[in-house]
Amino acid sequence: MKLLTLSERLGLVSYRNQAKSEIKPHIVVDTEICNSVCPHKCTTYVCPANCYTMDEKGQVHFQVEDCIECGTCMYACDQGAVSWEFPDPEIGRGVTWNYG
Amino acid sequence: MDEKFDCIIVGAGVAGLAAAMTLARNNMKFLLIEKGEFPGAKNVSGGVLWGSDLAKLVPNYWEEDAGWDRYINHRRLTFMDEQSAFSIDFKSSHFNETPYTGVVVLRSRFDRWLADKVQEAIDASDHSMDSFIAPNILVEEILMDSGKAVGIRTGEEKFYADSVIIAEGVNNLLTRQVGLQDKYVPADHILTGVKEIIRFDQKVLEDRFQLNGKSGMSNEFVGFATDGVEGGGFLYTNRDTLSIGLVLGLKDLREKEKKPHDILNIFKQHPIISDMIRGGEVVEYSAHVVSSGDKRLIPEKLYKSGLVVCGEAANLLMNAGKAIQGMDYAMRSGILAAEAIINAKNTNDFTEASMKKYQDALEASYVMKDINNFQDAVHLLHDPVMSRKMPNLICDFGRNFFSIKTEPTQKARKMLGKAVKKHSSYWELIKLGWKGSRAL
Repeated sequence: MKLLTLSERLGLVSYRNQAKSEIKPHIVVDTEICNSVCPHKCTTYVCPANCYTMDEKGQVHFQVEDCIECGTCMYACDQGAVSWEFPDPEIGRGVTWNYG
Repeated sequence: MDEKFDCIIVGAGVAGLAAAMTLARNNMKFLLIEKGEFPGAKNVSGGVLWGSDLAKLVPNYWEEDAGWDRYINHRRLTFMDEQSAFSIDFKSSHFNETPYTGVVVLRSRFDRWLADKVQEAIDASDHSMDSFIAPNILVEEILMDSGKAVGIRTGEEKFYADSVIIAEGVNNLLTRQVGLQDKYVPADHILTGVKEIIRFDQKVLEDRFQLNGKSGMSNEFVGFATDGVEGGGFLYTNRDTLSIGLVLGLKDLREKEKKPHDILNIFKQHPIISDMIRGGEVVEYSAHVVSSGDKRLIPEKLYKSGLVVCGEAANLLMNAGKAIQGMDYAMRSGILAAEAIINAKNTNDFTEASMKKYQDALEASYVMKDINNFQDAVHLLHDPVMSRKMPNLICDFGRNFFSIKTEPTQKARKMLGKAVKKHSSYWELIKLGWKGSRAL
């Protein structure tokens, strides 16, 4: 069986409010903390949706669009950089599972 | 709406729906709020709903062809190394009898179906016009007055009630807000689950897994499945899909610098798994954190004046090796939470002492009895000897035992001895055996 890449997998997810150009992010990340004091930058690998990425200079970047609301980063980050809320049903992102 | 409810339930998952059903049947006036587009829209589980409480909420549910996917009559626990799998396999027609001891569910469908049943119970109650299931609403705050929960706030709107049941799930922001759990919960006793739903032609699935009618199989995996990370794998047969996934210790994942979605692909490439999923089509990828069952994660107090916490919001979940239980705990704790609220309403006493009766009932139930009794098993499962060395040892022995060669064959005891020495030591196994015998 052909294995799926992460972007193929995320392509199967039904995200909410996709038609809206501006959404209110439900997670806010203080990447200053990631890029100054954090010794592990673990969100760049533990996030199952790869919302946290590291560029070639080792800097952490975050995007909320692919987030599947799993909660992993809220526990994994022990540096206080992640402010985690649930997405607003009207103006937020987040998921609607077809199977769950 | 300035009318006051008897109760507001936050979250229409298994716990919230079980509470709502209990309230509706007792003619209580309540508001059940769900942040997803519909009940179940944001819920993910493995998932098998164990136990028989579902039959209490929806009598004769097995006569319906909706909601649940299959009942379990076939269990398998598999130890894996890189190439082999050694399984304990149990199948019995005894499990074909109703009420079933476990049903496989897909939450986006199951919860929605259960919510329809709750709506039917509301319609039959005295409050058919003023009890509601309200999806698409995010509760941002529990309103407190002099230490007592009095309602909830969503955006600018406020709703008031004599009591609040928090059934918000494992990412329990409101439970933290009211001070029953620390604001920051560390990764120590948290796992990340990743899962794929793989679709087949139903007949292919039934033939491949020897399913008959609505019977189903649950298979848990230990060892190679997790690529050296603490945790395990699972595979459940749904109607015409498989749920296949991993639960991975988040702290260990962080330390080993591994990606959960990469490990899922490694798992899927294992020869045993790839034979099981051949020809299927992935139709959903999902992930969710899950509690480990370590009691240290469960808030000491699950109530405040006018408020109780149930389901995975209270971190009620456990994997003690036999099964991953969580939805059954959610169901029972939801029922018990509602019963405490009904009692409070009848005595007009929503004080802390009255709400404490919920926790007392929970402690007296199988939920907390099992969680308390099987803590050693939870710790044992997370012991690296158990999750890594044991599967290798068992598979090594299996490979030798089942190899028929044209040379003199060793006795099994000698084979076992060699496997033990290669992967572990007798002393390590004696310690593990001692722990195991006490744990289970």
